[in-house]
Parts: sequence; C-alpha cells; structure tokens
Amino acid sequence: MILNDTYIVSVVTFIYFFAAFFYLIFLVLRREFADHTALLLLYLGITVHTVAIAFRWIQSYQLGIGHAPLSNFYESLVFFSWSIIFIYLLLLRHYKSGLVGIVASFFAFIILAYASLSGRVEDHIQPLMPALQSNWLISHVVSSFLAYACFAVSFGTSIIYLVGPKIRMAARREFWDEITYKMISMGFVLLTLGIITGAAWADRAWGRYWGWDPKETWSLITWLIYGAFLHARLVRGWKGVRMSLISILGFLAVIFTYLGVNYILSGLHSYL
Amino acid sequence: MINKLSIIYRGFGSAKLAIFLFFTLAVMSIVGTVVLQGLSPEQYQSIYRPGVYAILDFFDIFDLFHSWWFTMLIGLLAVNLMVCTIIQLRRIYRVYLSPKGGINDDAIFRSTQFNAFFQSDRGFSEIEGQTRILLKSLIGRPSSIVGDGSSYLFAEKGKYSRLGVVFVHVSVLFILAGGLIAAIWGFDGTMKVVEGETSNRVYLSGGKHVLGLGFDVRCDDFTVDFYAGGVPKEYRSDISILERGRKPLSASLRVNHPLRYRGLKFYQATYGLAPKSYMLVDVKNRKTDEGELLKMRMMEKTPLPGADTHIAVGEFKPDYQGRGPAVLGVLFEKGKPHRMFWIFQDGAGNASAEGDFTFTLKDFKRYYYTGLRVSKNPGMPFVWGGFLLVLIGFILNLFFAHERVWVRIREAGKGTEISIAASSSKRSEVLEKKLQKLSRKLGLE
Repeated sequence: MILNDTYIVSVVTFIYFFAAFFYLIFLVLRREFADHTALLLLYLGITVHTVAIAFRWIQSYQLGIGHAPLSNFYESLVFFSWSIIFIYLLLLRHYKSGLVGIVASFFAFIILAYASLSGRVEDHIQPLMPALQSNWLISHVVSSFLAYACFAVSFGTSIIYLVGPKIRMAARREFWDEITYKMISMGFVLLTLGIITGAAWADRAWGRYWGWDPKETWSLITWLIYGAFLHARLVRGWKGVRMSLISILGFLAVIFTYLGVNYILSGLHSYL
Repeated sequence: MINKLSIIYRGFGSAKLAIFLFFTLAVMSIVGTVVLQGLSPEQYQSIYRPGVYAILDFFDIFDLFHSWWFTMLIGLLAVNLMVCTIIQLRRIYRVYLSPKGGINDDAIFRSTQFNAFFQSDRGFSEIEGQTRILLKSLIGRPSSIVGDGSSYLFAEKGKYSRLGVVFVHVSVLFILAGGLIAAIWGFDGTMKVVEGETSNRVYLSGGKHVLGLGFDVRCDDFTVDFYAGGVPKEYRSDISILERGRKPLSASLRVNHPLRYRGLKFYQATYGLAPKSYMLVDVKNRKTDEGELLKMRMMEKTPLPGADTHIAVGEFKPDYQGRGPAVLGVLFEKGKPHRMFWIFQDGAGNASAEGDFTFTLKDFKRYYYTGLRVSKNPGMPFVWGGFLLVLIGFILNLFFAHERVWVRIREAGKGTEISIAASSSKRSEVLEKKLQKLSRKLGLE
C-alpha cells in the first residue's frame, strides 16, 4: 500500500518546515499574512499528523497486533513532535509570539525529519512484548511526552531569553521568563503524572514501583531539577538568567532521560 | 535561646535547603547511573584500578541508592518537608483560613491587588442590597459588618485551594514513608519452580538469605508464545498454591498480571530450561555398526559408542529452517577441532552424518522452570495514598483559585461612596471580569 502512515508523516514533516519558514518571514518582514499562514499550516499539520497516528493505530489492528502507536522509538518521536505542536497551540491561547512559533515548528520539524526522512529509525509496526501489554501504556507515554513537549518549549524560550537581547529580537524579556515559568509548571505536573503512572505500571509488571533503574533515576533527576526551578522562583523569587540556565539544564536532563539512558546506559526500560 | 531554636527550625524548613537537597540528590543520582550498581567485587576490580576501587567502595558508590549517606540525604529532605509543611500550614491557616484582621480594616482598600473607588447618586441601602446579591452570585454569600451609614462586605471562594501545595508536599512524605515501611517490614526475592514441581524457597535480593514461604508453590505448566516475527507474545505460568494438603488457589501468572496470596505478590519474571530436560538421540557408528540410544542433557558431554569421541548438545529449535525440530550438536573428536551440526528427526531428509556417525533426534523432553519475583510491600498503601494526594494537590492548584472581594459602602450626602478591593491566588483575568461585571451592574463606571 502506497498510502501508509509513515508516508503521511513525511508529508507532515514538510508542512512543519513551511510553518517555521513562514514564522521566519513574519519575524523578518513583519507581515501579518505570514503569521496567519504559519498558524494555518500548523493547524493543517497537526490535523494530518493526528490522522497519521490514528491510521497507524487502525493498521496495527488490521495486522492482528493492535495497540496504541506509542510503543517504539519511531512512534515516540512522532508523538513527541505532535505533542510540541499541541502544547504550542494551547499556549497560543494566552501568549502570542512568532518567535515561540518558530521554536515549536522547528523542533517538531527536526524530530519528524529524523524519524521519517533519516532512514535510521525503524518505522515498522511491531507487536507488543509482554511487559508493554498494559493499560498503563497510553497514560504513561502521553503524560511523559506532553511533559517533554512543555520542557522543549521552555527550553526554547530560555534560549530566547538569554540570546534575545544580543540579536535585538526579543525586547520584552519578562515575557520569555513568564512563558518559561508557565511551561515548566505545566511540564512539572505532567512529568509527575508520567512518573506516577510509570511507577504504578512498574509495580504491576516488574513487581516494584521504584527500583533505581536508569530510566527511573533520570526521570527523578529531571523532576528534581525542575522542582528546584519552581522553588527558586516561587519561594525565593529568582528570575532571569539563573532561571534560564536551570531551565536549559532541565531540558538536557529530559533529553538524557529520553535518549541517553537507552543509548549510553542500559536498563529494564529498553523500548524508549 | 528561643530565637536560636527558631532560626534552626526555619533553616530546616527553608526553600534554600530544599533547593540544595534537590541539586545534591540530582548530582548523586547521576553518579549512581554512571557507575554501574550492584555488580560483584570481581567485576568492579576489572573495571577500576585498585585505588579508585577502594575509594568508590569506601563511599558505598557501588550501592549508592541504599548507602547510609544517600538515605541520610533523603531523611534530611523529609525533615525539610515536614518543617516546611508545618510552617506553611500555620501561615495558610492564619492568613487565609481564619484571618484575624476584620473585614472592616480600611487598609485593605489601599493595599490589595485590585483597588477601585466609585461614587454613585443612588442611595446607600439600595446599593448595599444590590451589592450583596451580586457578590453572592459572582463569588459567594458575603459576610458583613454594618455600621451607622457604612457597610463592609466580604465574599470569598476557593480558600481551600490554598492547601494544594500542602497536599503536594505531604504526598512526598507519604511516598517516603511507604519506602521506609517497605525497607523495614517488606522484602522481595525470586523463586524458581520447575514444571510439575513445587517450591517454597524464596531467594531474597541483596543477600544470600533464603526464606521459607510456609506454603508450596507448584508450577503446573509454563508456556511461552511468540509472534510470527519471533518477538515474545506471552509468558504464562500456571501456578497452584498448596497449603496443608489443600489447594486454595490456582491461577495463570502472566507479565502485568501478578498473583496475590497472603499479602505476598507473585510476578512472572523469567524462565529457562530446567536441568532435568533431556533428549533422546539415536547414534550409529558407521564403521563398527554399533548403535545406541543416548539420553542427553543440555551442555553435557556424552561419550559415543566405539570411539574416543564425545558429543554435547547446545541448543534446541522447535522448527529449524522449515525442517522440523532440531538440536545443535557439537562433536569433540580427539586431536581435531570441535564441529557443530544440526540433528533432525526421522524423515527430515537423511539422518545427520558427522564423521563416522549418524544421528537422529528421537524425542525431546523439555521442562521449563519459571522464575517468579515474590514481594511483600506493606508500604504500598502509603505510596498509593501519596499518589492520590499529589493528584488532589495538583487539581486544587490548577483548577481552583482563592478569590476574595471586599466592598466598603458609605453614605456621602445624598449619594454613596463605594470602595472595592479584590485579590486572587491565580491568573487574575477571571477575577477582573467579575469585578467589571460587578461595577457595571451597580451602574458604576
């Protein structure tokens, strides 16, 4: 079959690329139409993206190994990218900024490009091994990746906060500080849910809710860093450069939790 | 003295200490994932030079997460949380739940988040009555202090949402308490039960202790299913519990579907071939025409008839390249390098010939053992309670806000003076809209 979900995903990759491109035009030329076009492309992109995920879900049932498409590296990348656009569109209801638009659509584009165009990621629908056959799969993966997406956006806004004044693009610095904080508090709640659902699942599958497995430990490290961020801000009133640095540190921990644990360390959580 | 104690007390409950502990625990946890945990001393000595090994060993880096100092750090975090929670609770109670200051404190109308002052031509009692009705519908039933020609109204909603952060903090204490209880009164270990046999011995993890269960676990059957591509689909142990000659429980144990009995939980963890598995292979020496039916076990060398040659079998395939069941044989002939070859059943082509011998697989008796994880964790209710509390805390924090509105109405000649003060614990747009509605309906702009 020519029209399969991986093909649709590669089309979405280009849609996100053009969204980023139009956001860039908007920022440089300050033309409203570019902003509208970019947003339209993102809505189009996430719609098609959702269809691709649903399609893959249905296909897995046709193959007789039905499961939510959240079970291997390729599927996690596709969902991560979806989550970033989803979180950005949610954020847009309160905070409008072309710069964040660029960051979100560029991240989404890069992740999808790696997943579907690099040819280095196995993209076949695979059957679920026994440990993954659980009702916890969906809630655990969805909350974890929505958290990662929030942290990706806050990482972007922290970078903008730090370099913004140097490239004379981001004038209102408090604005970036504010979005970083909002995204991190939302991400923190979602990460907590991800860890709790993961613990509940580990208790059923492995017979303990916590075992200092590298994946568990790194999710805790990430949680501690963002926990420190929230306390520093809410109780100590820290703002500005220090907070941006903690936010960047936190996102490095996110990346390591997601990828580093599997590629550098090893443990029970072998399926990303 | 009291002052010093108070400083120490506040220090233990401070956010500074919390932030310090967060970063310290994070850094130590990184160390705990970079240095492999729980290997044997010999394995470590092959990785690290003796000096480095001695230092790492001295600081318990090889079992970092259970070391006394890591436990101390977590204990300190618990103390920090407890003190901080008490301070927080007292403050929330004093300031929000049971405030001492009256609602007729005029300072409120100068110092609060939102302040507005209006004058109206309408009469005092008309405005006062309408304000009460509006406050009730927008926020909640107001309390009031009515004096001579003046009235103070106060309405609030969602004051208990202030407790959200307390719930989140207490949840962590619950989870830590659960961990402590498990460490003291719980255990976990593994047991192996061969198909058709019983066992009551649990090998406790982190030591060489063996625990007797007080009842027997019998493995009636073990099966492993595969998908077409070779990925495992299901591991299943059919288990019976035997106690004092009775069989109170029989169940299928699968991954993600543990079994519960007498406060213990049994989990499908691993499996393997039991040593009593054997296969029957028909051997013929073509030179001497001697034949023999060999009973062989995995990885055991067996002498062959009529020659100084041995055979061992190393692997079994239920279907090797479409030719049916096969075992991998290894032939050890004196003075020659060992050779590997596959042995098939009758009818699957010719009998396998290797050297002077022909081999035919006659039968294969496979007995699996199932590896179960056994755990007893009396701390689990606390952990679940902690999870529940953190959810309640987040819901209170995310979906509820503490909104407060104070209104002071004074007679001024024929007309009325109205002062409004308001504050919200969260995003203020919602409250702002309500205040706009309030002043619009009162006819104030």
